[in-house]
Amino acid sequence: MGNVDDDGATFQQNYVKCSNGTAKASTPISNGHIPNHSVEQWRDEQQEEQHNDQEQELQLLLNKQLKFSAPAYTEIRTRTGGLKLKGVNEGSYHPEKQAEANGYVSQTGSKCDKFKPSRADGVLSAEQEHYQKTSFEDVPLHTACLTYLGFYLLMILGYINQLLFVPKVATEKGREGYVTLYDAFESFYSRYVYRRVRDCWNRPICSVPGDELVLKDRVTDDYGWSFRFTGTETRCLNLGSYNYLGFAAATGTCADESEQRARQKGLAYCSPRSELGNTQLHIDLERLTARYLGVEDAIVFGMGFATNALNLPSLLGPNCLVVSDEKNHASIILGLRLSGATTRVFKHNNMRDLERVLRNGICYGNPKNGGKPWNKIMILVEGIFSMEGSIVRLPEIIALKKKYKAYLYLDEAHSIGSMGPTGRGVVEYFGADPNDVDILMGTFTKSFGSAGGYIAGSKKLIDFLRTNSHAHCYASSISPPIVQQIYTSMSIIMGEDNTDTGRNKVQQLARNTRYFRRRLAQMGVITYGHEDSPVVPMLVYLFSKIGAVIRTLTTRHIAVVGAGFPATPIMEGRIRFCLSAAHTKEQLDYALDVIDDVSENLGLKYSRKSRDPQPIEY
Amino acid sequence: MWNFKDSAAHLYRQYELITCINMFEPWEKKLINGIVLLMFVLLIFSSCVYLPSYMDSLLEVIRPAAGSTKVEDLTYVPQRISSM
Repeated sequence: MGNVDDDGATFQQNYVKCSNGTAKASTPISNGHIPNHSVEQWRDEQQEEQHNDQEQELQLLLNKQLKFSAPAYTEIRTRTGGLKLKGVNEGSYHPEKQAEANGYVSQTGSKCDKFKPSRADGVLSAEQEHYQKTSFEDVPLHTACLTYLGFYLLMILGYINQLLFVPKVATEKGREGYVTLYDAFESFYSRYVYRRVRDCWNRPICSVPGDELVLKDRVTDDYGWSFRFTGTETRCLNLGSYNYLGFAAATGTCADESEQRARQKGLAYCSPRSELGNTQLHIDLERLTARYLGVEDAIVFGMGFATNALNLPSLLGPNCLVVSDEKNHASIILGLRLSGATTRVFKHNNMRDLERVLRNGICYGNPKNGGKPWNKIMILVEGIFSMEGSIVRLPEIIALKKKYKAYLYLDEAHSIGSMGPTGRGVVEYFGADPNDVDILMGTFTKSFGSAGGYIAGSKKLIDFLRTNSHAHCYASSISPPIVQQIYTSMSIIMGEDNTDTGRNKVQQLARNTRYFRRRLAQMGVITYGHEDSPVVPMLVYLFSKIGAVIRTLTTRHIAVVGAGFPATPIMEGRIRFCLSAAHTKEQLDYALDVIDDVSENLGLKYSRKSRDPQPIEY
Repeated sequence: MWNFKDSAAHLYRQYELITCINMFEPWEKKLINGIVLLMFVLLIFSSCVYLPSYMDSLLEVIRPAAGSTKVEDLTYVPQRISSM
């Protein structure tokens, strides 16, 4: 199981050492490049060796330690000093759990059969079950007020700052009398609001983003205008990658086969599929994808974003109505704008609103065309909404689609591979028939640890796309090693390598997800979305708290992703955890203990729901 | 003592987060802190100087019979509702 197993055993020692390391080392920041054993131990081992040699190597080690333990985040103010951070072992949520042996993944990759389905599973009707598992807790009133207050302060001070000082940005010369090319508010926002917490985003990494990653440390001397690298690195637990099944690894079957394929076939065909870029590899991948999804045919593209943005215009025209969920991804919105179709938005996951919009669309026809009927009506939803962590209510949407004779376009970017008993997405999760969904779209970027996208459906649809899609005709075809990575990971998920690895990974992800979400709920932080979705947004609301949480977690060696105003509503700043099958229980426990500490200290425990007093079973 | 220190630190941290002070540059921090402090001082000052007489007059409005004798002594005489 590739990297799932490798680091599990050594992990706990490392992190315990890191957090207790403040006593021994001079800085709280240490990193993965310090050898696992301590200096004293190292000395003991080396005592037999020659004195000269020892001194020399010790000097080298000290140099190395000095290099890698520079205080990376001191100049960006992080509050390690002020925070009352507990150690990993003391005061953790379930001390008895810590004593337990390494829980789920053993060295051989076999799993223990303790996975307990939710109590709601299969007892209630599908609709009620979905309702019970989904949570969108309201924001407390005072938090809402404080969030707005914070934003007003940021804006006012931003304007004062802009008035008093010349921003340290490049300006165009010789453009007097021209209208500004760039949107004024956008540049103001990025200069005076986003810039203050810019160190929390776009952080460079220098390793495979598997269950752990290595951050390249950088500091800013001028409050976020510019950064410089310190030359140090920080090893962090990775809770930010869409690496749902843990196929992003530098070792293992996938990596080996991709490398072999690159040596055989080169790195790119430099030509579109319809010209010279079409090979047996691509045809095989399309067949495998179609078989994987249980539909007639599939077509693959080299870029997930373009799969949405360029195929929607070929499917839709000006006299079409699109009923789109309000939380749909930017690629879908771009595709809809390019297509010129009329777009009506319905409230997020609200079936009653969807039906209202559909009914109105059918009743009144196209107002731009004198009320004549639409050519086609398409419902456009995602499987898992990446910002909300919620799951589409597919059975009800299929029922509505059949009732009103509309088409259904399902974007399974996040759900493919990560949902359902064998990883075939939300369609399998709800036990629906894949042929009921007219257009199945998804990406290879997330679960398969690769790049690209696919569209699957009936033979007729795919043939239409082969002749009409811009992404097929003009974009160059997928590079051979990438095709191989997708092919190998997909066959592993399907179990065609005659092992249980794929199935185990899917179950591990489901188990990690449920455990992580329940522990978070028990802590009293507000999380959004469905209990079974591996994207877990934790609401922190205040803009300043996003930065504070990310910085504090980085000092405790956890890398997470925050999302603030332009990506979410002003009110709802959030931290987004993405779980992976590559995470072990120990890693999650460590992360949860730290999150518990941090949310206590920064005041993130907003939830007013009753908490489960029982310890959560993994 | 330590408890007090801890809770004070916690309170200040919350204040920092709420006003986004932890994101600001030093001079901006001083500005915000100065404004908040000024507001606070003004509030304290006004509540010490003006509040007692306001309260008296409020009592007067609510219960005219009880405190009618004291009205002449006060520097600030409120408009009687009955006289309007």
